Amino acid sequence: MTGSSPGLRCGFCSLIGPLVLRPAAKDRLRFLLTVSGIAVGVATIAAIRLANASVLSSFSDTVDFVAGKAGITVLADGPGIPEAALERLAWLRRAGATLAPAITDTAAAGAADGEVVEVLGIDPLADAAAREYSFAPEANLFSVFDRDSILVTEAFAARHSLRAGSSFSLVTNSVERTFRVAAVLRPTGAARAASGSIVFMDLAVAQEAFGKVGRLDRIDVVLPPGLSGDDRARFEEEIRASLPPGTTAGRPERRTETVDRLVRAFRVNLSALGLIALLVGMYFVYNTLSISVLRRRTDIGTVRALGASKRSVFAVFLAEGLALGVLGSAAGTALGVALAKGALLLVGGTATEIYLPSAHPALHLDPFVLLLAFTVGVVSSVLSALAPALEAASVEPAATMRHGSVEAARRRRTRPLALVGSALLVLAFLATRPGPVNGLPLFGFVSVFLIVSGVSLLAPAAVMFAAARLDRPALRLFGVEARLARANLTGSLSRTSVAVAALTMALAMMVSVAVMVGSFRTTVATWVGQTLASDLFLSPASGRSGPSFGRIPDEAIDLVRAVPGVDEVDPSLAFSATRNGVPFTVGSRLFAFIAKHGNLPLVDGRDTRKVFTEALGKDEAMISEPFAEKFRVKVGELVELPTDHGPVKVRVAGIYTDYSNDRGTVTLDRSHFQRLWPLAGASTVAVTLKDGVSPEEGARRVAAALRGRFALRVRTNATLRRIVLKIFDRTFAVTYALEAVALAVAVLGVFNTLTALVLERRREIGLLRVLGTSAARVKRAIRYEAAAIGGLGAGLGALAGGAMSLVLVHVINRQSFGWTIAMHAPWGFLAAALGLVLLATLAAASRPAGLAAATDVAAALKEE
Amino acid sequence: MGARVIAESVTKSYGGGRGAAGVDALLGVSLALEPGSFTALLGPSGCGKSTLLNLLGALDRPTAGRVLVNGKDLATLSEDDRDAYRRKTAATVFQFFNLLPTMTALENVALPLLLEGVSPADADARAARGLLDVDLADKEHAYPYELSGGQMQRVAVARALANEPALLLADEPTGNLDSKTGEQVLALVAGLVKERGITVVMATHSAEAAAHASLILRLRDGRLEP
Repeated sequence: MTGSSPGLRCGFCSLIGPLVLRPAAKDRLRFLLTVSGIAVGVATIAAIRLANASVLSSFSDTVDFVAGKAGITVLADGPGIPEAALERLAWLRRAGATLAPAITDTAAAGAADGEVVEVLGIDPLADAAAREYSFAPEANLFSVFDRDSILVTEAFAARHSLRAGSSFSLVTNSVERTFRVAAVLRPTGAARAASGSIVFMDLAVAQEAFGKVGRLDRIDVVLPPGLSGDDRARFEEEIRASLPPGTTAGRPERRTETVDRLVRAFRVNLSALGLIALLVGMYFVYNTLSISVLRRRTDIGTVRALGASKRSVFAVFLAEGLALGVLGSAAGTALGVALAKGALLLVGGTATEIYLPSAHPALHLDPFVLLLAFTVGVVSSVLSALAPALEAASVEPAATMRHGSVEAARRRRTRPLALVGSALLVLAFLATRPGPVNGLPLFGFVSVFLIVSGVSLLAPAAVMFAAARLDRPALRLFGVEARLARANLTGSLSRTSVAVAALTMALAMMVSVAVMVGSFRTTVATWVGQTLASDLFLSPASGRSGPSFGRIPDEAIDLVRAVPGVDEVDPSLAFSATRNGVPFTVGSRLFAFIAKHGNLPLVDGRDTRKVFTEALGKDEAMISEPFAEKFRVKVGELVELPTDHGPVKVRVAGIYTDYSNDRGTVTLDRSHFQRLWPLAGASTVAVTLKDGVSPEEGARRVAAALRGRFALRVRTNATLRRIVLKIFDRTFAVTYALEAVALAVAVLGVFNTLTALVLERRREIGLLRVLGTSAARVKRAIRYEAAAIGGLGAGLGALAGGAMSLVLVHVINRQSFGWTIAMHAPWGFLAAALGLVLLATLAAASRPAGLAAATDVAAALKEE
Repeated sequence: MGARVIAESVTKSYGGGRGAAGVDALLGVSLALEPGSFTALLGPSGCGKSTLLNLLGALDRPTAGRVLVNGKDLATLSEDDRDAYRRKTAATVFQFFNLLPTMTALENVALPLLLEGVSPADADARAARGLLDVDLADKEHAYPYELSGGQMQRVAVARALANEPALLLADEPTGNLDSKTGEQVLALVAGLVKERGITVVMATHSAEAAAHASLILRLRDGRLEP
C-alpha cells in the first residue's frame, strides 16, 4: 500500500474512530473548551464586521435611494454648488437628460432635542424624473410647492401621529419653523432613504431654512436612456468640463466610497483587535491537538505497526483540527450574529457620532461577512493543526519512546524557537519604519503581530529560564510543592508554554490598549483644558445627535454679543471639501481671539500668540495635525482651497494639535475666510464672560436672550469637557469589551491545559500520594503551577504590551488618524488588571487541583 | 528497626450491589511478620498479591478484618496519618518503577525527604548518598528516560529507602526487568534491608525472585495456602 486514494480513505476511516472520535467523546469538556475558544474569536470578528457592514450598508442605501435614477451626481467640493452651475449644465437638457437640483441637510424634528431627520429640498418639476415617489393617499409632488409644506414618509408620520394637514415643526439652522404636512409618502424610492427618517420640502424653502440661498448641495443628472458605456463616459467628461470651480461630478456610489474611507481606519483597528482574539483561539486548537498527539503516541505507534500510513495518520489529526474549526466557526458565526446587534450599538453609534451623524444604521446580515468569518475560523484551526498532525505522522511504528523523551525532544526546540522569536522582534522594530499604505498603518499592524508572535515563541525559553533561576529560591520559600510545580512546568513544556503564550497574547493586548487609551485620554484631557479657554460654547440645537449640525445665524450671534456680562465672542464656521478625493474641513476662527488667549497649542511648541498674530496680518492658514499628516503638508508650504472663482493657494503658518476629529482642518481667520466664501453665520460660538459672571449665570442669561427666537445648545466649559471625555470613553468601550473577551479565552486556556495535564498525570499523582504527599499538597502544587503560568504570562504580556503600546501610539494611531499622543501608562489600572488575571488563573486551577486531589491512588497506579 | 506486620482475617471485595456479583480479591487472609523479615507473596496474576500490598501500604482499606503495623490498625488512621504513614513508615517499589519523569534521579530520591520537611540542602546530600548506595552516583542529573530499566528500579529503591522506612513493600519489582538485572536489583535490596533491619514484603509470581525471601507465602484466589 503506497498511500493511494483507496488506501488513504481506508486508513482514514479506520483510524478516525480510535484516534479521534472515541478519545474526544471521553474528554468532552476539553473538546468543548477548544470549540469555545475558536467560537469566541470568530464571533468577535463576525460581530465587528457585521456592525461595520450594517453602518455602511445603511449609508449606501440612503445614497442609492436619494440618487434614484441619476447616473451622475454633481456634488459640492466646498460650501455648496453655486446656482449658476445649472445654467452651465443646461446643455444636458437639450441632450435629453434631466437635471434635478436638491438641497440635502439635517434637522431636529418636533423640538430642539427631537429626532434627527434628513431633509431633501427638491424642485418638484424636475424631481419626479430623478426620484421615485408614491403617495398615500393619492396626492402629487406639486403639493410641496407651498412655502410651508413638507412631505413626510409613512414611518415618520406614524411616529409623530401626522397626516395630511397636520402641523409639524423642524429646527433648521437654530430656528424652529412650523410646516404643514402636505402629503404622506409610501415607503418606496426616495422615501426609503435614512430608514424613512426623511422629509421633503420645496427647494427654495430649503435654501432659506438652511442658509443656502443661491447654493445647492447636489444636482442629480438622469441621462437619456440607451446610452453605451462610452457615451456615458463622454457625458461624464463633458459635465466635468462644464462645472464651475468648487464642484465635482461622478457616480452616486462614490459617496459611499468616500465615507468608507472615513470609517476604514476605525474599522481596521477594531478588526485587528478581533484577530488577536482569534489568535488566542488558534492557540487553543494547537494545544488541544498537541496534547492529543502526546497522549495517543503509543496508540499511533501501534496503528503504524499494524500498517497505517503516515498520510492516514496526518489526515486523521488534520481532520480533528478541521472538525474543531468547523464546529467552533459555526458556533462563532451564530454567536457573532447574536452579538452583532450589541456591536452595532457600540460601533455604529460611535462611527455615526464621529463620522456620519445622519446615518441610521440597522442590522444587516451580510452573508458574505458571515461566510468570511466562518472561513477565517476554519482556516485558522486547520493551520493550528498542521504542526501536531505532522508530529503525529512522524511517530514511528510501535513507538517505544518514553513520555519523558518525547517532551525532551520538544524541549530541544526551545532554543531554535527563541532564536526565531528574537528575529521576529527585530523585524517588528523594522516594520515600524515604513509609512502608511493607502492611508492605513499596515506595517504598524504587521509590527504588532510580529511582537505578539515573537514573544509567544519566546515563551518556552522564558519558562525554562524562570524554572532554572527560581527553583531553589521557590523551594526554600514555598516548599516541595514549588518543586513539583516547576518539574511539571518544564516536564510538560510543550503544553505549559502554549498556555503561557496564550495568556501573554491576551495580556499584551490588554496592556497595550490600556496604555494607548490611557495616553490618548490624558492627552485629550490636557488638550481640552488648553483649548477650551472660553466660558460658554454655543452650537445649533441638533436634536438627539451628539455632534451638532447646521449653523447659528448672524442675528443670534449679535444677540449673544449684546447679553450683559458677555465679554468676547469667537464664532467659527466650517465646511467640507476634498483633496484628491479625500475629505477634509475648511474652517474659520477669530485669529485675534486666539492670539489673545493662546488657546490652540502648536505641534512644534512655538508661541501660539505670536504665530497667530503674524498669520493674521498675512492671510495665512493654520492646519491641524491630522491634515498635516494625511496630506504631508509642512509649515511654509502652500495649500490649495476650492472657491467659487477657482482654487486659491494659502501659505501654512503653523500646525496645531486637534483631537476633535481626524478629518483634518485648514483654518483661516474669519475675515479672510469670508472674503473667499461669503458665508454667514457660525457652526459654533465660543463666549468669554466678564469677570464676576459665573459660567452658570452667563449660560442662564444667554439662554434667556435666545429663548423663543433661536434654538441653540448652550454649554458651560465644564459641561463640554465632561461631554468630550464621555464621548471618548464610549468610543473605546468596544475595545474594552474585546480585551475582556480575549482575557477570558486565555484564562480558559489555562484551565484547559491544567485539566488536561492533571488527567495525563494521574499515574504520577497517584505515585505522589503513595510517597506520602497529602491531597492538600497535591492541590497546592497545581495551584503553584497555575501561578507560575499566570506570573510568566503576566510578565511577558506586560513586556510585549509595553512594546505594542509604543507601536499603537507612535505608529498605528499616528498613521490612522494623524494624532501625536504623549505616552501615559495607567499604572493603577494595569496593576489591578494584572492582579485580577493572576487571581483568575489561580481560580482556573481550582477544578484541576480538585481533580488531582481526588485521584484514586490505587486505580491510578494500575494504569499503564 | 523493622515493622511488625499483622493481618487478621483480612477480606477485600470490589464491586457487587444492584444484583451484580462482586469480586473477592482477598478472603480471610491472616499473617504475622516479624520485624526485619523478608517475606515473598507468591502467586499467579490476579491472586490478590497487589491488593494485599495496597492494604499494607494504607492505599486501601479492608472490607473486613484488620491490618496492624507496629500495633496500629491502619483502617483507624486519619487521612493525614495515612499520608504520614506512607512517608515515614511504609515505602513502595513498583513493577513499572514509577519515577517522576519530570525530575532528575537526584530530585526523585530527594522528594520523600522534602515531603518530610528536610531542608533542601540536607535532602540533596542524603539523596546523593542514596544514589551512591545503589551505585548510581554518576546518574544524579539524569532524567528517567535517560536510564535503563535496571537503573530506574535502583533509583526507585533509593527513593523508597530515603526516609528510612520500617516497612518496604515491593510489587513485582523485577517484573519489567530481564532475569540478570532483576537478580542484581533483588540482591541489592536484600543487602540493604538486611543491613538496616527493614521488614520487606514482596509480591511476585517468580519463584526465582521469591527465593531471596526468608518466608514464602503462597496466595491463590485471594486465600493464603497453608
